[in-house]
Amino acid sequence: MPEFLRRYGGQLADGLVDHVVLTAIAIGVGFTLSLILTLLIVRWRRLGGPIIAGAGILYTIPSLALFAVLVPITGLSLLSAEIGLISYTLLILVRNTLQGLDGISPDIIEAADGLGHTRTQRLLRVELPLAMPLIIAGLRIATVTTIGLVMVTAVIGEGGLGQVLLRGFNLRNWGIVYAALIVMIVLAIVADGGLGFAGRLLTPWARRGSR
Amino acid sequence: MTSASTSRAATVEFEHVTKVYGSGASKQGTPGAVNDLSLTVPAGKICVLVGPSGCGKTTSLKMVNRLIEPTSGRILIDGVDAATRNVTDLRRGIGYVIQQTGLFPHQTIGENVETVPRLLGWSKARRHERAEELLALVGLDPASYAGRYPAQLSGGERQRVGVARALAADPPIMLMDEPFGAVDPIVRERLQNEFLRLQEQLAKTILFVTHDIDEAIKMGDLVAVFRTGGIVEQFGPPSEILAAPASPFVARFVGADRGLKRLSLTRVNDLELAPAVTARVGDDAADARRRTLADPFAYLLLLDADGRPLGWVGQGRIPGDGVLEADLVETTSPLLDRRTTLKDTLSMLLDRDVQAGVVVDRHGVYRGLVNVDQIAAYMRDTARPFDAVDGPVTAVDLAAVSGEG
Repeated sequence: MPEFLRRYGGQLADGLVDHVVLTAIAIGVGFTLSLILTLLIVRWRRLGGPIIAGAGILYTIPSLALFAVLVPITGLSLLSAEIGLISYTLLILVRNTLQGLDGISPDIIEAADGLGHTRTQRLLRVELPLAMPLIIAGLRIATVTTIGLVMVTAVIGEGGLGQVLLRGFNLRNWGIVYAALIVMIVLAIVADGGLGFAGRLLTPWARRGSR
Repeated sequence: MTSASTSRAATVEFEHVTKVYGSGASKQGTPGAVNDLSLTVPAGKICVLVGPSGCGKTTSLKMVNRLIEPTSGRILIDGVDAATRNVTDLRRGIGYVIQQTGLFPHQTIGENVETVPRLLGWSKARRHERAEELLALVGLDPASYAGRYPAQLSGGERQRVGVARALAADPPIMLMDEPFGAVDPIVRERLQNEFLRLQEQLAKTILFVTHDIDEAIKMGDLVAVFRTGGIVEQFGPPSEILAAPASPFVARFVGADRGLKRLSLTRVNDLELAPAVTARVGDDAADARRRTLADPFAYLLLLDADGRPLGWVGQGRIPGDGVLEADLVETTSPLLDRRTTLKDTLSMLLDRDVQAGVVVDRHGVYRGLVNVDQIAAYMRDTARPFDAVDGPVTAVDLAAVSGEG
């Protein structure tokens, strides 16, 4: 075991760092985009159908196919990988955020208006905080899904731990294949738990009773 | 006195205000519609808008802070058309309390109360101080409540926080939409009483919506009875609405027991007190006996040396000579003060030997008598009942006037 770690530890660590970076960019950009899309829907309800449908179509494209289609356009690059990864986060994130905002009781919205919040103040001080539990839930699913999907981007030369795994596979080195997989699973569990914990810190009110 | 009591109230005038939903032929009688509403709420008064479900009372309320915009007509606040004002500024100057209170579940009680001061950009220290002051004002200990979340409070406590939040920036006007609708009757009664006491200090102009006529009568200085279609059938003080309903609808809406409701609104103060034959302990018995025998009422009211009533002495028990002693008293009557309601008075009198209440001032000194006949006469003389159209109240009628709006 120490021998294994000495030989492959560096590879695994590099792979892990790449993996985290790829995931973080995808979730960061995906979350920002989804927030913008959700706010567009909230403002102009008619956009809801097309946006959700668009995100749904992206979500149904098999990952391998999506990356293959992107390569002729954006090359074997980080950009290709991220476009694919981000695309997959949108449906989950938009749907959850929207559900979170729509689930707020009309009484609370009316109270916020009646007390004199501007539209932006209402969104920032009342609506987004109240949608937070569902936003966090969406982020957790999207993050775990993305961590898995990053493996696939190994086919276009990215992939973090996916590349480690692919190399091991080509060398028939099953030890490194399993090691890469285990590190990825641990990463997913830690990310999920971390987000869950952050969510609890952000929504102290949600634990103490129903809304 | 706290700063909560220092702001001026404002008058609120509805001028031919109409709200139409939808268009064309279907617009008549749409739930929530308001038809040519004109009424003035004087500064510092509670005006209750009451009526059956869908009668437009809540619509009328929400047009004041422009959560709903009128189709036509104007609402003037201290003479200024609400439609000409910046809508968020307008709302920050009007307290707003709704059923279930609409407290923000993600904010602590303290943060909830600080909402409007925060929107107005008050400093943190000033906001905190104000929140503590207000929580204390509505009877919640700031030290133990400010840090809690709404879900940790009882329904009654949440309603109090809702009132505190509405009062935070000391607005001259408060809009209250069924503010006590979501709590049980015992808590509701307590909240109503507390609120009335609070209003005595605050003297805000309050528009109060309810579907409960008893609440309307209790809370209102003025009551506007709405009929479906957003038409005000009657607008006036509660005593007038009970005594002289303007239409069969109002008569039915206030209920067949409106006579009893009037009793609880009318106070001993409103009656002309009857005189009794009185004498003080130590007075000449023969003179008292002679005066009592000359009076159709067969009892002498014996007072102590300071004029406080001791009780009744039957004419047969008054000695022919000597002086009056305290132990002659045979029976007593309930003591009333000028604020006692006729309902309470009547209830106290019905099972007594002497069916007269003795009215005393705040030093306990005798002032006069109230008897059952006087109450009956007063009620008769001040009423204009809708007997001809009253008729039996049918189940359909009851359905039409009950329920929420």
